[in-house]
Amino acid sequence: MSAITETSAPMRRWTFGGLFGTGVLVVYVGIMLIWLLFPIVLVLLASFQGRLEVSLSLSDFNLDAYKAIPPAYWEAFWFTVRTALTATAVALLIAIPAAWAMVRGKLRGRRIMSNLVLIPDVVPQLILGIALLTVFIPLHLNNSFAGVLLALVALSLSTGLRFTEALLEGLPEEYEQAAQTLGAGRLTTFRLVTLPLIAPGVAIAALFIFMQNLVTFELLFFIAGPNASPIAIRLFSDIVDRGVLPYAVAMAGVLVYVAMAFYTLVAVVLGPKYMAGSVMSRKG
Amino acid sequence: MRRRLRREVLFFRLCTLPAVLVTTLVALVPLGLLFFNSLKNQHSGAPSLEYYIASFGNAFFMRTLATTIMMAAGVTIAALVLALPLAYLLARRTALRNVIMPIITIPRMLPFVVIGYAMILLLAPMTGIANRVLMGLGILSQPAFILFDWPGQAIAFVYTGIVVATAVLSGVLMSVDPQLEDAAISMGATRLRAFFVVTIPLAIPGIIAASALIFTSIVTSYAIPVMLNGRVPYMVSLLIASNLLTLQQPHLAYAQAVIVSVLAIGVTGLSQYILLRYGQNGGRK
Repeated sequence: MSAITETSAPMRRWTFGGLFGTGVLVVYVGIMLIWLLFPIVLVLLASFQGRLEVSLSLSDFNLDAYKAIPPAYWEAFWFTVRTALTATAVALLIAIPAAWAMVRGKLRGRRIMSNLVLIPDVVPQLILGIALLTVFIPLHLNNSFAGVLLALVALSLSTGLRFTEALLEGLPEEYEQAAQTLGAGRLTTFRLVTLPLIAPGVAIAALFIFMQNLVTFELLFFIAGPNASPIAIRLFSDIVDRGVLPYAVAMAGVLVYVAMAFYTLVAVVLGPKYMAGSVMSRKG
Repeated sequence: MRRRLRREVLFFRLCTLPAVLVTTLVALVPLGLLFFNSLKNQHSGAPSLEYYIASFGNAFFMRTLATTIMMAAGVTIAALVLALPLAYLLARRTALRNVIMPIITIPRMLPFVVIGYAMILLLAPMTGIANRVLMGLGILSQPAFILFDWPGQAIAFVYTGIVVATAVLSGVLMSVDPQLEDAAISMGATRLRAFFVVTIPLAIPGIIAASALIFTSIVTSYAIPVMLNGRVPYMVSLLIASNLLTLQQPHLAYAQAVIVSVLAIGVTGLSQYILLRYGQNGGRK
């Protein structure tokens, strides 16, 4: 394949214009790289220097800001992890049978059903958050683990269904038909044939849904409260109430490490090419 | 046989039931109530369109909405123009992709709040690194207050827009066959001309999808406008939130929320429609 492309590619002529173009491209890529990297670098530098005036000298490197992270932040962090994990698990448990029934069952009204489940992904998160607040207040679900969990489950469900539907549509039906010809029932086929075949895809979906749940902000902003505040919202309300604090920057640094660790995990498991395209939902 | 089939259909329906139930209860019913309440007077409960009339008749709301739309449109265009060449290079150069992919993926896995912190560290009037460098070089005599004006917000939005656009567009451009460009070049087009005449038209569906994504996320974003202190310009999400939380006019807030969601969903729907209608033969003129 690559050999064909190389022979069919025209000869490169090294003209002044071509060199100039290459130079412009190199400068452009360099500027874009700096631009894309600067938030991460700045947050990490500031977190290690323990103050907001970032300098480039390595002498004032210290861990004071990390040590000063208050327990409330760690609580919020673990709250976020707990809700994100539970929501991912619940959503996939609901989404896999639903996707299977929709794709294999060829039910009437399938399009309507799958569009219905996609609503939380299409409606702006801020608006859905406001709508949930009005319903949750009389039910006393606002400012509670259950309320945050429900909101996240609805969001994860629509991502999860989209993923699993695509997985099942990409899976030839022949394997399942073969199993059924040999006498296996629908459920046995699902358990022994379908599930193992889609398991790797489901694992990827779970990773992405989990990460999406970790960073969800606008959906949860209105229904969160002091008893149930994800870390992003805790950091946000602190900046509004008290301004930028070094230990808050350190906590932001911790979130950067989480993202890095997650990326490394996915890249090692899958290879970096899976990160291209629109695998990740938009509001990250 | 027929009964057995019916039982099977029932079983399939049962499998989809939890998903439909959860979405109905957690999304459909609340959204329906929001819409229903926006059509009711807050005190008497009588049906009325007054909140929509009040919103559309209110010069401040309309101006805010217009600013928000202009901001979102401008940022979308800027992000696409800046990201397109990078996305193209990423799609064609595997080595570059392996280096840059983590750099554009990690910011997508960070809450907006972290980006907001970085913007403050960069642009804050006294402590921000940009102001200190510029003042140190003698370019500025006093700190520039970019952060608390519209450029600060626009910069933050363009940052997230570029990240999203690069990821989406590089995926789309990878699916454009490089041999088509080579064919154009072998027939005498320059590389630049091939890029504009062959590659971009083929990538139009991806460009439309990416711009709808960026536009809607900016129109309803809340974290960045508040963090970067959005008194000027006042984004529409701030207006809705203050009507809801501080001014105690929830029904007005609902009506405005409905207006904004119609706008956002309309843009998404329009992009989907364009894709369905013209996506099949997009670019093949």
